[in-house]
Order: sequence, then C-alpha cells, then structure tokens
Amino acid sequence: MTVNLTDRMKAWIEAMGCHLCVATPEGVPFVVLGRYAKATASDEVAFALAQDEAKVIAPVLSENSRVAFGVSRQGGIRAAYQFKGTGELLRSGSVFDTVAAQAKEEKGIDAESVLLVRLTELYCTKPGYEAGQRLDGMTPEELDAWERQRWKDVPRKRD
Amino acid sequence: MVKFTKEMKEALRVPGKGGSLIYLCTSSRDGNPNIAAMRFVATHMDDKILIADMFLLKTKANIKENPEVAVTICHPLDEGRWWVFKGKAVDMEYGFPRDFDWYGANATDILNEWGNWNKAEPPDEVPPDIVFPKAVQRGVVVVHVEEAYSIEPGHVGEKVLTG
Repeated sequence: MTVNLTDRMKAWIEAMGCHLCVATPEGVPFVVLGRYAKATASDEVAFALAQDEAKVIAPVLSENSRVAFGVSRQGGIRAAYQFKGTGELLRSGSVFDTVAAQAKEEKGIDAESVLLVRLTELYCTKPGYEAGQRLDGMTPEELDAWERQRWKDVPRKRD
Repeated sequence: MVKFTKEMKEALRVPGKGGSLIYLCTSSRDGNPNIAAMRFVATHMDDKILIADMFLLKTKANIKENPEVAVTICHPLDEGRWWVFKGKAVDMEYGFPRDFDWYGANATDILNEWGNWNKAEPPDEVPPDIVFPKAVQRGVVVVHVEEAYSIEPGHVGEKVLTG
C-alpha cells in the first residue's frame, strides 16, 4: 500500500523523534530511539543513529529489514499512529551526508549511520474504536481530511 | 531473576500517578515488529510489568503466537527513564484458569487487582480528543522481565538489569 505522510505527521516525527522497533527473524524485538528524524519523502523517514544506537539494531536489520516505529514523548499519545516499513542502514551517500550533517547541527548527534525507512503501512493507534484502523492507501487529500477532523495541533521542535 | 529499582517502579505506573506512557513492542513469530503506546501500566512483584488488555489487536495476536516482548518508556524520557525491558508475556484474559501461573504471577491475584483498571485508575489526565468513550478490558498482559538495557544516549545497549 501507499503511505502519504501528512504535514502534521511529519512535524510530530521530526519534532519528537521516534521509538524504533525491529525484530529478529525468530521474533525477538529490540528498541532504540531515533532522536533525529527527517521525513525525506511522503513515504520515507530517515533517522540519524549514533554508533551505540546502530550497534543494537544493525545485526537484527541485517537479517530482517522490517521496522515499526511510533513517535516519542508526547507524540505517543498526540500523534497516535504506528508506521511500518522496511529499513536500510546507510553509511554513505547523499541521504547519509545530508541527514548526518543536519543531526550534528541541530542535535549534536555524531551519526554513525542513517536508518532510512521506506514506509508501506500506516495505522491509527488512537485508543477506542479506531485503534488498529489501517490508513495507508488513502490519497493524500483523504488522509489529510481524516486527520484534520481529529487533530490539528503541531508541536514545537525540540532542541 | 531481575529486580526493578525504585525508580523503575515509580516510572512503571499510570501517567496520572507520576508514571509513564509506555511502548509495548511485540513481534509475530516470523519477525514482523509492532509497537503500540499503552497507558495502563503497573509493576507486580519485583520483575513483572502489567499492562491492561484494552483495544489490543495486533499486539494481542502477536503475544498469542510469540511471547517475546520489549517494554520501553515513551513519555517522559527526560527523567532518566531510558530503559528497555525484555521478557516473556502472556495475556491473562477473563476465563483463564484461576490457578494459572506465569513465572510466579497468579491469574486470580492479577485479575482481582487489575481486572477493572479503568475504574481503579481512570484516565483523567488523557486529553479529551484522545480519551476513549468506553473502556472494555479483556484481561491483563503480564510481562515477566528477564533483562533490561539502556537507550540513554551514549549508553545504548548497556545492561541495566540482568537475570
């Protein structure tokens, strides 16, 4: 399915960072923080990872590229979404260079790698009858309207 | 056997009591990860995390086929709550044999104390545009924690609890 991140989703992801979840092929989950996040396309998010952060998930990603993430901090409740896709750890190239430089400038993160997640699934996680509702496949206009009926708040970017 | 610290026990409570919003991370048996925020959380004994089974879908399906889970603090993070707890989970649903035991946690004890969690600890702090109109609890997820590691920047992956 096609994921079309709204401007509000991008704002929450980039302002708060995300909790990144991966799992071994046998189903053992691991979590690290994606403290610096950048929406690089309507269906792509890049996370700058320090060496110790990458070290936890790199062995897992080498065997299983599936990634699920949710927005950190207040975003866990205010941006009630789960994002899923496939992840690739980049250690060179234009995306790595750009995101790593921005992460260093904005958050002082020495990025050893950049996790680029190409999104394939999007779910609502608002508690209640809409929990688990699948939102990918909506057109950008449909998804934007769906979200605007519920929430409009956009966070300030954290230091 | 691990033993939670005082700070961990204080953090692993509902947000309205100074605790945390948490993320419960599960996986299908073939490695499809899932992450979902949870508000109803508590500790039991020194090594169990309890989470209300309300609105669980994929999380519930995953736990039924694969008990391996990770629990981490979503918010607040700036109070030293940089932990990921790993362990094995079961969803103690209503109807479970009352003498069911999960690593020392008894189903009767769990469901008697936390079986009507919304009434015991109502979500007064949850914003009105997020709060659910009616809570329907189907059980309690019991996580037997076996280890924990740090996600504090500069210390990621370091063990903070070991069995």
